Amino acid sequence: MRPILAAALLALALWAFAALTALPFAAWPALPWRAEGMETGQILLAFGLMPRGAVALLAGACLGLAGALMQAVLRNPLADPTTLGTASGAQLALVAATIFAPGWLAGGALPVALAGAAAVTLPVLALGARRGFAPVTVTIAGMLAGMLCSAVATALTLAQGHYLLSLVIWNGGSLTQQDWSGAAHLALALAAGLALAALLARPLMVLSLGTEGARGLGLGLAPLRMGTLLLAVCLSALVSAEVGLVGFVGLAAPAIARSLGARTMRQRLLLAPLAGALLLSLADGALLAIAAMEGPSLPTGALTGLIGGPLLLWLLPRMTTHVPQRAEAGDGLARRARRPARVLAVLAALVLALSALTLFGGRGPEGWGWIAPELRETFLPLRATAILAALSAGALLAGSGALLQRLTANPMAAPEVLGVTGGAALGYAAAVFLFPAPGPLELALCTAAGGALALAALSAHALRADLAPARLLLAGLAIGALASAVLGAIMASDDRRAWVILGWLAGSATNVTPAGAAALAALALALLAALLAAARWLEILPLGPATARALGLPMAQARLALILLAGLATGAATLLVGPVSFVGLMAPQIARSLGLTRALPFVAGTWLIGALLMVLAAFGARTATFPYDLPLGLVATLVGAPWLFLTLMKRTAA
Amino acid sequence: MTLFTLNGVTLTVPGRRLIDGLTLEIAEGAVTALVGRNGSSKSTLLKLIAGQLRPDSGSIAHAGRPLQDWTPRELARSIAYLPQVTPPAEGMRLAELVALGRYPWRGALGRFRPEDHAAVEIALDRCGLRPFAERLVDTLSGGERQRGWIAMMLAQGARTLLLDEPTSALDVAHQVEVLGLVQQMCRQTGLSAVIVLHDVNMAARFCDRVVALDNGRLVLQGPMAALMTPEALARVYGLPMQVAAQGGKAGTRLYALPE
Repeated sequence: MRPILAAALLALALWAFAALTALPFAAWPALPWRAEGMETGQILLAFGLMPRGAVALLAGACLGLAGALMQAVLRNPLADPTTLGTASGAQLALVAATIFAPGWLAGGALPVALAGAAAVTLPVLALGARRGFAPVTVTIAGMLAGMLCSAVATALTLAQGHYLLSLVIWNGGSLTQQDWSGAAHLALALAAGLALAALLARPLMVLSLGTEGARGLGLGLAPLRMGTLLLAVCLSALVSAEVGLVGFVGLAAPAIARSLGARTMRQRLLLAPLAGALLLSLADGALLAIAAMEGPSLPTGALTGLIGGPLLLWLLPRMTTHVPQRAEAGDGLARRARRPARVLAVLAALVLALSALTLFGGRGPEGWGWIAPELRETFLPLRATAILAALSAGALLAGSGALLQRLTANPMAAPEVLGVTGGAALGYAAAVFLFPAPGPLELALCTAAGGALALAALSAHALRADLAPARLLLAGLAIGALASAVLGAIMASDDRRAWVILGWLAGSATNVTPAGAAALAALALALLAALLAAARWLEILPLGPATARALGLPMAQARLALILLAGLATGAATLLVGPVSFVGLMAPQIARSLGLTRALPFVAGTWLIGALLMVLAAFGARTATFPYDLPLGLVATLVGAPWLFLTLMKRTAA
Repeated sequence: MTLFTLNGVTLTVPGRRLIDGLTLEIAEGAVTALVGRNGSSKSTLLKLIAGQLRPDSGSIAHAGRPLQDWTPRELARSIAYLPQVTPPAEGMRLAELVALGRYPWRGALGRFRPEDHAAVEIALDRCGLRPFAERLVDTLSGGERQRGWIAMMLAQGARTLLLDEPTSALDVAHQVEVLGLVQQMCRQTGLSAVIVLHDVNMAARFCDRVVALDNGRLVLQGPMAALMTPEALARVYGLPMQVAAQGGKAGTRLYALPE
């Protein structure tokens, strides 16, 4: 309990420092407050700073509770309120409304954000309902929906960016208040949420016994899962609507609660909101204190990662061994392709055919057609370079996604989860700000250094904490949150250079040099060779450490080697085309849905699918909005996500 | 030669001493039952001699050589270990699971040679799994799946089998089948086995020797008959028991009956 008390005192002290700097205590308004009779400073305190402190506590508590519920029902310690795409839906709705129908925002952001959240979350839940809300299916569907929304939102922001500064601040989560209404909304929601959570605590505890155990005790699984998910979604949608995207609190708060010794479900559901409240208050208090000392004013949500990230890293080794039970996939037995070799051959042929099509065909000033003979000499080398870079990057990201999913037996594992992407992005940002006019070399070196640093931190941490995959992923997420906190702050700083970074974040293969593309292709081939060589390891590793050790697998070395491999592949791809990590998550799922279940066809198929997705993306990015190029990551997501969503739906019917 | 030699082995987890200065020898060429009450650290002892856990202090030697001197693959060629809960093998066919047992011999890259294929075939045949070779592991019944994992251990070609409660989820017929299979393999091809068993009568029927633990300490070791006395049973299980003898075709068997 002592750390909680210390954190509470610190948060209070930070807030009080800001408040007392703004207005000495003697001048504080006396109750009851009436705005008419107050001076400006008093009004700012009573209707700005005070509700802000309350909102920080309440929003943090709501997010912590939502995260704890989500992790309990999805049986995944990496789930958080953003998992189901709720926050991304709210974000997309606000972006779209700001651009296309500003009038809708007249009544405040709340209705629009709630509508967006509902529009995204309901299809996810509908799909989940057909599978009895099986954790893995719901999670994948949710992440896909979320990815799709944020890709579209990023594209809109890029296209219409100049009008969207307020939105960027919303994206970073801003706790600034003008009255007590936000605090009142959140307090009502939290009270209702806690009451419902108290009702859910015992069934959720039973659920932690596993599906069979829970059914045996007479628990209706689907209603319980739907109710819990709905509650968590409502809480996080409300917080998104009130204060914007506050990342990481929902993930970190339950983890912190667990490491503080919350063992039973009831303890977790109580302690997680407390931890979330304190985390957000600390972050906000720190910002208020900085602003009070004439520092820059930054969005709070972006900075929660800055406090929560290191906190989580510090707590992880202290966590009692927490190995989540195998989550239920809900799609019955894995389908197996009868002839995996044929599937692979078709995929390879598709990659080649599409590359040729993208190289020679396309859209010109006269409409669709093949490239004119007189233009070939100038354009073909440029196009070839971009295509080669795109497909190599896709193969690299998909390959490392396949590797991570086999290694951790977690279908949510993706390259971005390792934090390498985040580190690389920070390196890129550093280059943009450090050099007056950064050339490709400076950018490449800084990005590589960032990725390498993140990877080194992760490996060091992993080596110390015996490399249990679940903890490793949490450590990677913590590093990633740290990076995105800094990036979020940069975005919100209203600096021209932020747009350069945002453009890079969306992914582009147009600035790659021929030498860079060739190097990337060589790396992609090397990764394929390494994956094929490690296929037997990847076959044995999902069977668990006991079996792997009994078969004589050198566990520590194998895990470290595979993580380094994944990290390097991700870093290299990120370096050149930006963090297009959707591919790393989607390609392995698509390979599974094609029935490539054994390690060898799985890794080879995933590698090919990654390349295929990116070629398609390169084609779409160049032609869809000719003469303007779209971001690669957006098109890759637009191609892959709906397809995967449909297969998820179809497999239910069968 | 002795199969395993343990000398002053201790293992502690926060708040509890699991193995407390254990010194004992396990003989080669026999089926040894590891018995004791729940929480007596039977499974922990099995994991220690399987090399899955490292002791805090003391030494464990296998075939006269300290365990830490074996490379992982060397050890896997000599010892096959079956965990208490077998993991789901998603999307894997039975024959493919059994073929994983050849990893210690061929490593990550070595090509499968004819003798590897032969080892897999023989293992499938000996476990009576030929008709199921192409079935997905997850679609097999509990008994078939357990035999599948034992077939993988056979394909591993190890001379020592370590099994952690291999029958806990099986009905009586399948228990007899699985343990009979292990006993028969040891008799016919001179393998050794150490089996953690709950059912003292199954142990008496299929095992030659016994090691009994209580709270991480050795209570009794010797031939199986040494356990089958009311006095020894009471010491191991803390419950008064009678021993009845019943003659049959295979000779006289001893049964323990709780009073």
